[in-house]
Amino acid sequence: MTTQNAPASFYRTTEGLGVWPHKGKVAAVGIGHSPTARRWDGTPENTMGANSILALRRAIEDAGVSPDQIDGLVIDPVTTTGAHWEAGDPIPMDIVNAYNPTDDPLDGIAKLSCEWLLKNMPELTNVKFTMYGTGCMSHAIVVAAQAVGDGLTNTCLVLKSWHNLEGRYNQAGVSAAENVSGSYAVGPGRTIWGPPGCFGTALQFAEYCRKYGKSHDMMAPFMANSRRNGLLFPEGYWAQHRPEQLTPEDYLAARWIAKPASLFDNDIPVMVSGAYLFTTAERAKDMKQKPVYILNHASSRGTARSLTPTLDEIQAETGSTGRKIFEGAGITADDLSFENMYDGFALFHQFHIEGLGYRGMKFGDALDFYQTDISIEGPNPVLPSGGNIGSGRSRFWMHTDCIQQLQGRAGARSVTGVKPETAVSGGPMPMGGNFTVWSASPD
Amino acid sequence: MVILISFDIDGTLEVGDPPGVLTMDMVRMVAKKGFLIGSCSDRPMSGQQAIWDRHEIPVDFVVSKQMLPEVKAKFEADVYYHIGDREDLDKKYALEAGFEFLWPHEAIEMPWFLSDDNP
Repeated sequence: MTTQNAPASFYRTTEGLGVWPHKGKVAAVGIGHSPTARRWDGTPENTMGANSILALRRAIEDAGVSPDQIDGLVIDPVTTTGAHWEAGDPIPMDIVNAYNPTDDPLDGIAKLSCEWLLKNMPELTNVKFTMYGTGCMSHAIVVAAQAVGDGLTNTCLVLKSWHNLEGRYNQAGVSAAENVSGSYAVGPGRTIWGPPGCFGTALQFAEYCRKYGKSHDMMAPFMANSRRNGLLFPEGYWAQHRPEQLTPEDYLAARWIAKPASLFDNDIPVMVSGAYLFTTAERAKDMKQKPVYILNHASSRGTARSLTPTLDEIQAETGSTGRKIFEGAGITADDLSFENMYDGFALFHQFHIEGLGYRGMKFGDALDFYQTDISIEGPNPVLPSGGNIGSGRSRFWMHTDCIQQLQGRAGARSVTGVKPETAVSGGPMPMGGNFTVWSASPD
Repeated sequence: MVILISFDIDGTLEVGDPPGVLTMDMVRMVAKKGFLIGSCSDRPMSGQQAIWDRHEIPVDFVVSKQMLPEVKAKFEADVYYHIGDREDLDKKYALEAGFEFLWPHEAIEMPWFLSDDNP
């Protein structure tokens, strides 16, 4: 079995497609996470592959199904946080051979294939469908949702894993090379000018502040709220390892990475795996956890005229994404109980939620909104998961939170100022990402 | 002679992530000797303070990485040291702020960290 990337036909990338034909017919049921760690400790039991197996098994157990009921597997094969296995670095074959390897010895350590997982999870005897959604859990989710809706798989595991190695983030691999060939230097998140990854977002945020008369200081309540929510997320990095609140004073005292993006506007790379079990709405009724129905998925594939998207381009794209999200779900922004849009970089979260028109927001409103009650106890929760800022770079806390909130399993992080009925999550970038609408009801 | 020592945390102190070679007992020793001490780290300042509180070590300052000039302006000392493990974030900032810089493995050789019983 060789796993392929999802075909273009899987994605809902344009406006005018109408309501998603599978609205309410696909459900998330089980959730599983590995523990988090800052970096791999070099042991076989804590490899990214081991974390992946653990998360998948926990999702299966959480849903209360037997492994032979699983017939689909959708994952992101790219697991790097920015940490690369340098060419020529010795590969620890004792660790490779502690598992059933594929032809690639780094499979399960610094990359991941469905084939490696199936070789190492012998209980998955019935998987007939595998597919990749590359980049993040947001992508894998829409692929899995469409696959279940299309009947390609009935009960499907969805997985996103991350490896993080010794050394500094994005300081190795091609980033450390003397010469960069091809178009890498002008790819997403890169620039030919050499600044850090948050540079583009910082430029857009600076223009946003200029245009609307706002300031970076106005982000402080959002950042404190995100970390607070993250500390209520027992699966997260900060809750598990450094349960420290990020106060507004802490945030405002941080050094600049690319002004006006400071250190804490960037998330912390971690090792972690997260998995969900998706199935048909009909099958979900008989499973252990309350089904959370998928009302729609939508994708953004914006293109900028130049190397760095302008604020105008960002706003045009997030506005379109919002319309696609609501059109396919057959809802309006007023139907959202809360939002869990992506935040890693923190300075673009407002682009996402203004595009949604969350709580009636227009472009330029979000930072003022952050000065109001955005807590989980209030009527207008912003990012109740805490996102990457609250729990480390997984790009899946937002999805886990939506499912847990709608299942009534978010614990101390439960939203109490609103009834959790419908939510949206997704990302990563304002100019490109994948988004999902979740609901406690299939209608 | 008044000596001020600024400690980086991660990669420098034993409580850092990754742990460094300087123990909290060493820090206690220089505090007891009357040095002006504190931390200068990328960790949130409240998190830095929490570490010192947890180890019951009173410090004179906790600051973010770029704030060494403010430390120098606030405290009068004969010599200012910053101990850290990063060329770009410790050594560079320290030298620019007019501090002496020590790598952790150099710092543990300093006589300050020897007890009076074993000078």
